[in-house]
Amino acid sequence: MLIDMNKLPFENLKRKPLRTTALLAVVVVLSLALFGGSILATNLNTGMASMERRLGADLMVVPQNTAQKAEALLTDGSPTTFYLTKDVADQISQADGVAQATQQTYISSLAAACCDEKLQIIGYDPATDFVIEPWVAEQFDGTLEDGQMLAGANVNVSADGTIELYGRDWPVVAQLASTGTNLDNSVFINQTTVPAMVEASAKVATQVMPEEYAGKAVSSVLINVAEGYTAETVATNIQNLDASFKDLGFVYPGGITATTRTSLNTLVAYLTLFIAVLWVMGAIVLIAVFSTSANERKREFASLRIMGATRGMLNTIILKESAVIGLTGGVLGVAVASLVIFPFSSLIGRQLQLPYLQAGPLLICGMIVLAVASAVVLSVVGSLLTMWRLGRPEAYLTLREGE
Amino acid sequence: MTKKLFAAVPTIVLGALIAIAPQTFAHACQGHDVPGACHYSQQAATGIGIVILLLGVIALFVEAKVRIGLNIAAALNAILLIAVPTVLIGVCSGAMMHCRAVMLPTLIVLGVLTIVFAGIAVWLDSRPAKRS
Repeated sequence: MLIDMNKLPFENLKRKPLRTTALLAVVVVLSLALFGGSILATNLNTGMASMERRLGADLMVVPQNTAQKAEALLTDGSPTTFYLTKDVADQISQADGVAQATQQTYISSLAAACCDEKLQIIGYDPATDFVIEPWVAEQFDGTLEDGQMLAGANVNVSADGTIELYGRDWPVVAQLASTGTNLDNSVFINQTTVPAMVEASAKVATQVMPEEYAGKAVSSVLINVAEGYTAETVATNIQNLDASFKDLGFVYPGGITATTRTSLNTLVAYLTLFIAVLWVMGAIVLIAVFSTSANERKREFASLRIMGATRGMLNTIILKESAVIGLTGGVLGVAVASLVIFPFSSLIGRQLQLPYLQAGPLLICGMIVLAVASAVVLSVVGSLLTMWRLGRPEAYLTLREGE
Repeated sequence: MTKKLFAAVPTIVLGALIAIAPQTFAHACQGHDVPGACHYSQQAATGIGIVILLLGVIALFVEAKVRIGLNIAAALNAILLIAVPTVLIGVCSGAMMHCRAVMLPTLIVLGVLTIVFAGIAVWLDSRPAKRS
């Protein structure tokens, strides 16, 4: 078989399957860790940014002993129902330091027909709302009529554009973009639809709240504070309005995002450290394997020199071998990581219990290129030492070595 | 011998996983009164997994040419496996439901791995034997 200088690097790799496999394995692990880690970190940051955008209120006032439930509702908790009455909510809205206030009602649905999840039903007031509307506006610019619904990204909407809840089909006017938060498992109705929902629940299951509260139940008052006030000051002002308001629950969405951001930053820092350590170790292993093989191959290269190959040609062979290993290992590593990260995206998000939102395709393509390029560069850098060592001695002396 | 093992063992292991996973950790959604799409996908996947496993076992006892055919059959079954929860039968639509979050990706990953290993086995078996 005739082998020219272009085919020689490939033949060298083929004829030494064990060495090639060992080098490939190292590069695959490094590229897998780099690509997998970067995708995870990016998705967590995308989810966090989305969560910060969605929790757009300074203060959330909820009934007594429900602050934790309300926090869970904003992050990763299960659907829940709690409420106070509208007159209390109206009084809260009048407190000193309140710039904007809007009321929301939360109802937890039952798991309905097959393959339906328990949903969080959120009743909001489109006239005063400043939290949901900016997000809704991206998908729906009309007015949410009575009886209509807006569905979160993960909600199962049937082919005819409805959701079956409490034995009744509710028309869905728009499905919202994914946020990576619990809001993706929610449906939104306007406040005036809440009594109809309560009535429907009474017909098929345990009534979600007593009928007399249906028209006046408010679960939370979301507040944006006026300039010069802090959320804590406004909370104190609200407590001072009435003696019974002392027991109200106060949730500070800014605090929740700060806590989540801290856990996320810790996780990303550990992930970065892990990948960095792995890459340093990988680089050492690669350099060690390449330089060991350089010793083995001294005679092989000396023979090539005697046959007329220049040092440049030998360097090209080594460079091509390492680049092929880097490229193949890089592509394989990215493929293996993709096979786990993309299909299991929802499971990863659920297990991490942090906002997790898939990054856009352009960013993913960029990361693929970066991971493969890094693998190629590392392999080539690993082989530089070999090139230097093989370039030093004279061919004749190397061939005579050991005689 | 190496080629035979490479043509048979991954197919046996992956076939067994495809048969077992939907009945154990990657199960369909539970607690429904009426079985839904995820339940039927689960049953179909188990059936396909058993077929792939049997193809792998047969590959242990036959010559290279037949193994090529068996691995092509395993790859086609793997395509069918991927098509069952994605196109032919489907799974629950809720993104957080267990069958969508765990069963669907597990079957896709196992299907892709079966196709890759069957492809490599076909390539190995179709190469001329080395002359000593």
